[in-house]
Amino acid sequence: MQLSATSELEPAIRPDVAVLAGEFEALVRLYRPQVFRFALASLCDLDAAETVTQDCFLRAYQARERFRGDCSMHTWLMQIAVNLIRDHIRSRRFQFWRRASLTAKPVDAAGQTIADRARSPEAQALLNEQVAAIWTAAEGLPEKQRTVFLLRFVEDMDLLEIAVATGMKEGTVKTHLFRALRAVRKRLGETI
Amino acid sequence: MMAHLSSEQIAECITGQPSRTVSEHVQDCPACGAKVASFREALGEFRGAVRAWSEDQACAVRAIPPSVAEPRSWAASHQFAWALLMAAVCIIASFVIPRRGGDAAASSDAVLLNQVDSQVSRTVPASMEPLMKLVVQK
Repeated sequence: MQLSATSELEPAIRPDVAVLAGEFEALVRLYRPQVFRFALASLCDLDAAETVTQDCFLRAYQARERFRGDCSMHTWLMQIAVNLIRDHIRSRRFQFWRRASLTAKPVDAAGQTIADRARSPEAQALLNEQVAAIWTAAEGLPEKQRTVFLLRFVEDMDLLEIAVATGMKEGTVKTHLFRALRAVRKRLGETI
Repeated sequence: MMAHLSSEQIAECITGQPSRTVSEHVQDCPACGAKVASFREALGEFRGAVRAWSEDQACAVRAIPPSVAEPRSWAASHQFAWALLMAAVCIIASFVIPRRGGDAAASSDAVLLNQVDSQVSRTVPASMEPLMKLVVQK
């Protein structure tokens, strides 16, 4: 079982303590990969994901005095990232000439992870198809459903954390998640 | 025993909050158990794939030197060049179009002035010019 960076490293570097102690750099090192991953998966644009990640930590630094520890630092950063990504998507709607500068997709990486385990070529091909189908389904989801889906199934956040990060009620998060799962399962229908 | 799980109930299992009835059914029904397990496995693979992909992309970003870097910077410079070109065309057009109108006006002014000049420079009115010719001949 793969533990999240939060649970692995929090005992060593307590984020709230680190912020208070001015060790912001340690926080950036700890959470940057997660924020970047979420931004990349949400926007499918490498440059935009980089920008959002930078902005996220800049805003967190500027607002560090206001962090009162009501939620984990990870959830707080994700909350900032969710807002930035939403703003970015809204502004991108008007940039109709812009294309995502992404060349590879998770589907290309799927083969590598699956190949690490001893599976038959057929099983590997099937899982590749499934990963591709989930990605396609996730790309086609409405913004809120996609956000909730990625936070739950890529970032491993629980419903309450997602509710805090997105500013939705827990019940609303659940509804979005169920709808997203239905859409994903529909897409997977041919392979599962 | 209840009928097979609905889409909602499978989603409940996947999100980790199934009711007691649903979780009992998953344990008792091999078909539904297999469906849930297979969906869970696919989502697990998806998570792994996205994480691996993100790491690859992050490495790619770090590996590209800023001077060579991005198609975006190329695109941005291309767009900037186009914008400059369009601005130059607009500026030239704003000068040239009124000037052409001005040239036409200036030429019509010159014709008018010539006509006025010729009228003014006459020694006698136009109607008396034939008589003046006779006087000059004599």
